Amino acid sequence: MFITFALITLLGALGMLLQKNVVVAGLCMVAAFFGVAGLFVLLANPVAAALQIIVYTGAIMVLVLFVIMMLNSHEEEKAQVSHPVQRWLSVTLIAALAFGAVKLVLGSKGLTALAVTGAEMPQAMTLQKIGTTLFADHLLGFEVAGLVLLAAMIGAVALTKRNL
Amino acid sequence: MTGMDAILHGGLQGYLVVALLLFGLGLATVLLRRTLLLQFMGVELMLNAANVALLAFARFHGGDAQAMVFYLFIIAVAACEAAIGLALVIGLYRHRDTTDSDRATSLKQ
Repeated sequence: MFITFALITLLGALGMLLQKNVVVAGLCMVAAFFGVAGLFVLLANPVAAALQIIVYTGAIMVLVLFVIMMLNSHEEEKAQVSHPVQRWLSVTLIAALAFGAVKLVLGSKGLTALAVTGAEMPQAMTLQKIGTTLFADHLLGFEVAGLVLLAAMIGAVALTKRNL
Repeated sequence: MTGMDAILHGGLQGYLVVALLLFGLGLATVLLRRTLLLQFMGVELMLNAANVALLAFARFHGGDAQAMVFYLFIIAVAACEAAIGLALVIGLYRHRDTTDSDRATSLKQ
């Protein structure tokens, strides 16, 4: 199961990177988000999986697809100047970064120990547990998150409106 | 469970490798594509990679609920970023008639 969802996620992300059409790239991104939701279910966290689908695929990606269709920019525009050196440099650096990090993760003794001590499946995450933790220990953070969302909403309206 | 076995059957290292590769693909999207909307999606992908790593560590820590609180905050910030980022892309399109980040190298007209 794990390898299936991991492949859905990574192939969706790869499709987004390589796809020419922006709308199809957005739909590849939706596939990647579904794969991540599947990974969250395997991590005994159905709440996170539901939130992933509701917020990311349901709200954010729909908003992005609306904007793509509204701006009518389905294809990537022709490059004015090509930067072959920078592009190859970034590909090499990302490949080196990914390779090094994966090697580091697989060789780490601490992670192996943590994987052994936490091997048995914990109880599935429930909304009740999250709610208790959120409102008992992180009430201020919750209020600040609400304020930030309000500020973002006002900012988005102010930026898109032609004349206030 | 070590090495390849962890990757194939969902050990902690497997989830971390998926998160790292997801982050790499998001970074590649931001660096290689020129359409602002695709670059934005790359940023969302990197945020998701961080979420996968966070919740994987939480599960191997005995199902810690604190991680879910941080996950909620990350989602809230991602939603704010989506609203503001897309509003900025729309504003750029109105002024310059383009969504190509290479054609918007200076903020002034």
